[in-house]
Amino acid sequence: MKKNKEFDNVLDECLERLLVRGETIEQSLQRYPEQAAELKPLLEAALAAKKASAVQPRAEFKARARYQFRSALQEAASPKRRPFFGWLPRWATVVAIVLIVLLAGGGTVVAASNSMPDSLLYPVKLATEQVRLMLTTSQMGKIRLCARLADRRVAEIIYMADKGDVHQVELITQRLDERLAVLAVLASALEAEEEESPMLLAPSSEAMPSTGDRGVSDWANNRARLRMTVAGYAVYHHARLQAVLEKVPAAAKPALLRAIAVSEAGYREALEALD
Amino acid sequence: MQSEESLVRRAQNRDQEAFAQLYEEHFDKIYRYIALRIGNEAEAEDMTQQVFLNALQSISSFRWKGVPFSAWLFRIAHNQAVDHLRRKKRTAVPLDESVASNDNAPQLIAEQKLDIERLLLATQKLTDAQREVISLRFTSELSIAQVAKIMGKSQGAVKALQHSAIVALRRALLVTENEEK
Repeated sequence: MKKNKEFDNVLDECLERLLVRGETIEQSLQRYPEQAAELKPLLEAALAAKKASAVQPRAEFKARARYQFRSALQEAASPKRRPFFGWLPRWATVVAIVLIVLLAGGGTVVAASNSMPDSLLYPVKLATEQVRLMLTTSQMGKIRLCARLADRRVAEIIYMADKGDVHQVELITQRLDERLAVLAVLASALEAEEEESPMLLAPSSEAMPSTGDRGVSDWANNRARLRMTVAGYAVYHHARLQAVLEKVPAAAKPALLRAIAVSEAGYREALEALD
Repeated sequence: MQSEESLVRRAQNRDQEAFAQLYEEHFDKIYRYIALRIGNEAEAEDMTQQVFLNALQSISSFRWKGVPFSAWLFRIAHNQAVDHLRRKKRTAVPLDESVASNDNAPQLIAEQKLDIERLLLATQKLTDAQREVISLRFTSELSIAQVAKIMGKSQGAVKALQHSAIVALRRALLVTENEEK
């Protein structure tokens, strides 16, 4: 037991010299010739383990994580604002929006759907979007809706960048990021569904072999179309944001560049999930 | 160059730049620790982000008692990894982009990737505690005292664990090499 403890200490000292002070294995072994035979393979294995320190996070992940962390930092530092409808519980928000739609004949909501972030109706637009997302039941429908909502965010970014409102561009970019993150999560969940669906769709007896195949192939076609839709939005958004980059006031350019980076990274992740 | 203590105090007073600096200094190490610990790149990315968001939320609870800030961060990462591993079985890391690519020699990078791949395969044969000590000591380069604090063990216990971990790793590396032949 005591011998073991002694050896643990010797090994640790050699590791310290090898890994921190840059000694060679031979130099370490010369200090402890009696234990050299036992120490040598262990020090070699430790050096092999040290190679894992070359593992680095992916550059695009690092950039996205940094942006999201900076946004969280800003949010933590700014005084808390109660969001529109924030005083209501979630279910009551849904009821409130449905009532608005029914009582106002949808006029307010329709007007709000075209509003921009500097409009009084903009919070209604955001709340309505949440309700639409909640009321959409299919995964594919939700993904399509997310892409359309991302399209709205891009239009708002361009509008606010054109006005030179950097703060608003940053806020909407954050919303765009969140929308695309939800899209990617939904797309990953689709993967899980896909694994299950062949079994669910598979015929229970050999008498109807074609039903299952057709079900799977319909599903695959729908998925391929969905991917094309999302890929289309990715290209379109990139082109739209790039096109206005030269036209917006200089102060808004860095924020717009961030929006482009967020859009690119978000769509890349979503498309990877749909591959 | 500011001391870590003053940076942490500024971050506790909602100084965004100070927190951002702490984030930059520790991000790669925390990622590496988690990646090696749980063995899945995508999950390691999510968890690394979560560690820093948790740190942001709870930095006011950090008390400076001579324990480095990094040990506190690793402790958060450790707790998250334990929770995660309890819930899920490990899967292999896709290593395509995980290796530093600042070296321009493609052959060197390929060899490096192969070495790391072998290492990750080998570490999957270790116990969770052994994998953790390897990750903290050799890839995150923490001292025995720091590792002991993070793992909640005595220094003697960590030295013993380090010994058994290296023995197990060597054995696993030999097995991996033989399987390749």
